[in-house]
Amino acid sequence: MTFKFQKFYRLLLFSGVMWIVLPFFLSAQSVSLKYDKYLNPKDLNTAIAGLNKKFSKKSRLINLAKTPGNNELKLLEIGQETGSTKKTIPAVLVVANMEGTVPVSSMGALYLADMLLNSDEMTDSLTWYVLVCGNPDALDHYFMKAYPVDPRNAKPHNDDMDELTDEDGYNDLDKNGIITQMRVKDPEGKWIPLEKDPRMMRKADPSKGETGIYKLYQEGLDDDGDGKYNEDGKGGVNVGINFPHLFKPFTATGGLWPGCTEESFNLMKFVYEHPEIAMTFAYGSTNFCMVPPKGGRKAGVDLNRIKIPKRMAPMFNADPDKTYTMKEVMELAKAVVPPGMEVTESMIASFLGLGAVVNPLSDDLKFYKELAGEYKDYLKEKGMTEERLEPAKAKDGSFELWSYYHLGIPTFTMDFWTLPKVKEKKEKGSGITTDKLEKMTSEEFVALGEEKITAFLKESGAPAQFKAENVVKMVEDGKMTLKQMAGMLKNKPKPKDSKEGDPETKALLAFSDSHLDGKGFVNWTPYKHPDLGEVEIGGAVPYTDNTPPEGMIDSLLNVQVPWVFEIAKKLPRLKILKTKTISKGGGVYELNVWIENTSYLPFPTAMGKRNKRPAPAILVLEGDNLNVLSGKKRTPVSDLGGLQTKKLTWLVMAGKKSQLSINFNAPNAWGDQKQIKIGGEK
Amino acid sequence: MKKIFLNLALFLFIGIYSSGQKEKITVPLRFDHYYTYDQVVEALKALHDAYPKLTKLDLVGKSEENREIWALTINNPETGDALSKPGVYVDGNIHGNEIQAGEVGLYFANEMLTKYGENKKITKLVDKNAYYLIPVVNVDGRYHFFADANTPSTNRGLRRPKDDDRDGLFDEDFPDDLDGDGSICQMRKRDSLGSYKTDPADPRLMVRVKPGEKGEWTILGSEGIDNDGDGRINEDSEGYVDPNRNWGFNWAPDYVQRGAGDYPFSGVGLNAIKNYIMARPNIIMVFAFHNNGGMYLRGPSTKSQGEFQQGDIRVFDYLGKNAEKIVPGYRYLISWKDLYSTYGDFGDFMDNIVGAYTFVGELFQTSSETYKKKDEKGEEESMFGESNDRTRERLKFNDNLAMGELYKDWKPYKHPVYGDIEIGGWIKFSSRLPHPFMLQDLVHRNAAAVIFAAGQTPDVKLSVIKKEEIGKNLYKVQVRLYNDKAMPSITYHCVKSKVYPMDLLKVSGNNIEVISGGKIINKYTDQVSYKPKKPEIQFCQVPGFGYVDYQFLVSGKGEMKISFESRKAGKITGSVKL
Repeated sequence: MTFKFQKFYRLLLFSGVMWIVLPFFLSAQSVSLKYDKYLNPKDLNTAIAGLNKKFSKKSRLINLAKTPGNNELKLLEIGQETGSTKKTIPAVLVVANMEGTVPVSSMGALYLADMLLNSDEMTDSLTWYVLVCGNPDALDHYFMKAYPVDPRNAKPHNDDMDELTDEDGYNDLDKNGIITQMRVKDPEGKWIPLEKDPRMMRKADPSKGETGIYKLYQEGLDDDGDGKYNEDGKGGVNVGINFPHLFKPFTATGGLWPGCTEESFNLMKFVYEHPEIAMTFAYGSTNFCMVPPKGGRKAGVDLNRIKIPKRMAPMFNADPDKTYTMKEVMELAKAVVPPGMEVTESMIASFLGLGAVVNPLSDDLKFYKELAGEYKDYLKEKGMTEERLEPAKAKDGSFELWSYYHLGIPTFTMDFWTLPKVKEKKEKGSGITTDKLEKMTSEEFVALGEEKITAFLKESGAPAQFKAENVVKMVEDGKMTLKQMAGMLKNKPKPKDSKEGDPETKALLAFSDSHLDGKGFVNWTPYKHPDLGEVEIGGAVPYTDNTPPEGMIDSLLNVQVPWVFEIAKKLPRLKILKTKTISKGGGVYELNVWIENTSYLPFPTAMGKRNKRPAPAILVLEGDNLNVLSGKKRTPVSDLGGLQTKKLTWLVMAGKKSQLSINFNAPNAWGDQKQIKIGGEK
Repeated sequence: MKKIFLNLALFLFIGIYSSGQKEKITVPLRFDHYYTYDQVVEALKALHDAYPKLTKLDLVGKSEENREIWALTINNPETGDALSKPGVYVDGNIHGNEIQAGEVGLYFANEMLTKYGENKKITKLVDKNAYYLIPVVNVDGRYHFFADANTPSTNRGLRRPKDDDRDGLFDEDFPDDLDGDGSICQMRKRDSLGSYKTDPADPRLMVRVKPGEKGEWTILGSEGIDNDGDGRINEDSEGYVDPNRNWGFNWAPDYVQRGAGDYPFSGVGLNAIKNYIMARPNIIMVFAFHNNGGMYLRGPSTKSQGEFQQGDIRVFDYLGKNAEKIVPGYRYLISWKDLYSTYGDFGDFMDNIVGAYTFVGELFQTSSETYKKKDEKGEEESMFGESNDRTRERLKFNDNLAMGELYKDWKPYKHPVYGDIEIGGWIKFSSRLPHPFMLQDLVHRNAAAVIFAAGQTPDVKLSVIKKEEIGKNLYKVQVRLYNDKAMPSITYHCVKSKVYPMDLLKVSGNNIEVISGGKIINKYTDQVSYKPKKPEIQFCQVPGFGYVDYQFLVSGKGEMKISFESRKAGKITGSVKL
C-alpha cells in the first residue's frame, strides 16, 4: 500500500464514513462484462480468462482442479503481489457456488473480480483469490433441459446400492423441459391440496380427522424396474458438504470422506499453501453477513469441566469423579511424563478424546452480530429493504463451517437473494420480533402490556405455559433477561398453521404470480404414467426459489457485492504504535514496544485462538551486537483483539547508538517495521 | 566432508543393526539385521526378480522428500486375477522410527514366496488370496532413522515442516548429535540443587530425590543445542504430522488430535497409498505394524463412533484371540478403550471406508528381553515411561546379552549453553526394537498371525440344494452359499452403512423366467422373504462360518445359470438343468 492511500484509508476508517463512500467509488467504475444472464461453467471460465488477459499485470489464473465432469476449477488471483510466491500483504479468498445450485452466486464472484480489476482501491494492499464456481459439474445442471436442483458433481455413485450405477435419473414425462412432481391418488397417500390455494399440497392431519389423498413423487420413471423413481441419477458428491468440519460419512451426497473429490481436496490444499489468506467469503445460500453462524449444538467439550475416564485416571493420579480445567489436567500430566517431554493442550485433548468445538464462540458472535447490524443499515441506505425469506443455515461439512472452525479466520457468506416474504395481514400482530426484543429495555418490554406480549409469545412459538403474566414477572424480577428470552425463542420452530401451507411455497407462488407471469409453478396436469397409472404432474419450477430473474442480477450484485470490501477493511491490521527504551546502565536497556491492532476484527478470531490458527505474527528484533537478556528475539504474537494495544518488554544489551530493527511480520495482517537507535535515547 | 566422516562413523557403529552389506541382496532374505530404506527397496526388487510370475512390483507414489514408496503384490495369476480374490493388505513402519514393522512385511513376503510349492499350507494360501505389501509406509522417516542421529522415538512423523514453537521458523531446532556417536542420548548436569541423585542400585541411573534430600543431578533432556537461539533446546524438530492421524475417516484437526496434519491426506505419500488402496476394493484383511507394546489392536479408535457391529466383533474376536496364542504376551485390545483415542487413523479408514478387518500390531515387548511382565512393584509397562526397576532389568539385558551396545555410559561434554555436562543413555536402536538376535522370532510369529488371518478370508461355495418341479415347467430351485471361514463376504458395517452395494446372487438362462426369488428365512417351514422386484438379482451377505439359502421359482426349460459376485470374496458360478 502506498503511503498516500494508507493515510487516506486511516482517515476514512476513523471518520467512520468509509462504508458509505467506497462502494460508491467502486460501483462508479465501468464494468466490461454484462450481468444480464446466468453463465454456465465454461462461459464463466471464458469470462475470467478474458478479465485475466485484459488485466494481466495484476491478475493470474490458477488451475485448481479438474472435476469428474471435466470442468476446470479456475481461481483468479488479483492484486499487486500477483504471481509472487512470498506474499507480504494479506489475501481474501472468495469462493462461490460450492454446492453448484446457486447460479447468482457465481455471477457475484465474477462481478467482484470485475470490480477488483477495474479499480485499484481494494487491490493495492490486499490480494484476492476468487473462485467463481466451486462445483461446476452441478452448476451445469441449471443449464440442462429438464434437470432439477441437484448439487452432485459427475463422480459416478451407486445411490441405491444395487447392481447398477447412475441408472435411474430424471425423466421429463410431460416434455415441458422441467422436472417437477407427480401426485397420484393412493389409499396410503398422506397429502391433500391446500384449501386456500389448491396448487399447494399439505400433509393431512389425522388428529383433526383428515385423511390423505395423494402420494408425491418426483417426475420420472422407474428406469431400472426396482419400484423406485429417480433414485439413482447421475453423480456424485456435493462438493459443498465435502469439507472436514462436522463431516458425516455415508450420506447420500456427502462423499466417503472430506476432500474425497478433486474440487474440495485441491481447495483445502490451496488454502493451506497460502497462509496470507486472512478471511474467506463464500457466496452461496447462507448469509453470515446477515445471520451469524448458528449455535445450539449438543456436545462440544467444555475445557473448564473435563472428566478423566476411570481407566485413565490412575495414570494421571486423578479422581474420575471430579472435573478439571484443561490447565489442571496439563499439570497432572506434567507430573507423570518422563522429564523433558512436553505436554500440550492438543496432546491432552487427543489422549482424552475431547473432540472438536461445534458451536461458534461467543466472542466471535459479538463481531458477527455487530457487523450484521451494520450490514442491515447499509442495505437500508441502499434502498434494499424488502423483507425476504431467511437465508439457509450452513450445512455440516460445508466450506464456511470448515473455514470458521478450522482456519480460525473471519468467515463470511452471502446469498444475494431469496424469495420476498409474503406480507401477512397485521391484524393481530404484536409488531415485536426477537431482534427487536434483544434491543429493548425491561421497562419498555413491560410497558407493551399483556395483550401484545401474549400475541408476541404466540407468534414466536413459545410453550403454552409461557404466559404473558409470568414472563413479565420474571423480567421484572430479573430472573430472565430479554436477551435470554430472545435467544430461547430464536431456537424455537415457528408455529405453523398447516392450513396456511409452508411459507416457502407460499412465497414462491406469490412471486411466480407477481413477477414471473406464473412461470414459477407448473399447474397440475393429468398424465398417464406407465407404472402409476393416472397421475398429475406439476409443482414448483426448480431454481425459482433461489435464482432471481436475470433482469435483477445486476442491481442485486451492485448493492451487495461491495459489502465484502467493508468487511475486508476491518481485517486485523497489526502495527507498531510506539517504542520506548530506558537505559538501565551498563549498556542494558529496557525496550518497550507497543503493538496495536488498528482495525476492528480480532487477530485471530476466538476460534483461531482455540485451535491455534492461523500462524502467529512474529516480532523480530535484529541489531548489531544485540543481546537479548530477557524475552525472545522472535516473539510470537498470537492474540491481539480488534482496536487493542499491547505492550511488549525486553531487556537487551547493546552497544551505544546501535541500530535496532523491529520487524513485526504478519503476512496475514500486514505487519509493520521500525528502526530505532538504541542507547541514543533517554 | 564432515558429514561423510560422520556417516562413516555411524555405519561402523550400527554394524550389528544394519548389515551395511555391499553385496547384492538375495532371496531368501536375511532377518539377522535391519534393512535400511534403500535395502528395503532392493529386497522388494530381489523378491520380485526371484518370483516374477507370483509377484508384481508397483511404484505407489513418492514421499514428501521424493523417495519412492513400493508395493509388492503376491498373486498367482493361474488361480485368477488379484482383484477377483480376497485381498490381504500388510503394511508397517508408518511411523518412521518403528523400523522392525517393515521387517515383518518383508519376512511375510519372503515366507510366502520361498515356501510356495514347498509347503502345502502356504501354497494353498498364496493360491487363494491376493497379498498387497507396503513394508515401509513412512519412507522418509525410515531413511532418516538410519541415516541421522535419533532417539528411539524420533523421526516418527512425516517430513512436512511445522512450526512447533510458533516462532515463524519451520523445523529449525532439531536435536544434535553432540558427541557424534549416531544416537541422540540424554544430557545431565551435576547439580547439588537438582532433583535427581545417582541410583544406588546402578550408578548409570538416576532416581528422584525425596523431599529434603540433597540432589546430585539435573536432567537436561535430549542431546542438543539451541540451534535458533531462542533459549529453548530441540523444540522444533521434524514435522509434526503423524501419518497415522491423517486419514479420511473421523479426521479431526490438530487442536483435537495432535499430528492430524492440515486436512485429510495432506501427506503426499499417504495420499498415494490411499489411491493405491482404493484401486484394490477386494482388500478385506489388513495388518498395520507398529513397534511397541505387544498388542493386536482393533478399532474403533474413538468412543463416540460407537461399538462395531456384532457380526464384525465376532470376526475380530476370533482372529484376535488366536493371534494372542501365536505371539505369546501379546494382548488383543480395543484401541480407544484399552489404549487411547485417535482420530483419523489408518485402521478406522480401512474398516469403515474400505470395508476391511484391521489389526494394528504393536510389535515389541520389553518384557521379551527379560521374560518379566511386571516389575517388583507388580506394575506393568506404562504409557508414560517405565519404572526404575524395569530400567535396571533392561540394563542387565544390555550388559549381558547386547554386550553393552544399547546403553552409552555417561561421558563428559562441554556444552555451549549448559557448560560441563554428561551425555549418555539409551541409543536409538534400544528400547523399542528387538535386538537382531530376537528379530527372527518376532517377525516369524507376527507373519504367522497374518497367515492365520489370511486363512480366514471368505471362501464362498455355491451349491443347488433343491430342485423341485412344482407345476408344469415351474421349478422351485434352492441355492446355498456356504462359507467355512471366519470372515463374511462383506462386513456387517458395510451392509449397515451402505458403503458399497451388497454382494449379488444372480440367476439367468435363455429359456427361463424367474417368477420370484428371495432369501429363505426358515428352510423347514418354507418361509421365504421374497424380493418384490427383479427377483433374478438378490442382494446378499454370506456370513462367516455359515451359509445363506435362496429360493427361486422359475418357469421354463433348459439351463439355469447361477452366479455369485462379491467385491471381497470373488465371483463363482454354477448351473442347474431344468
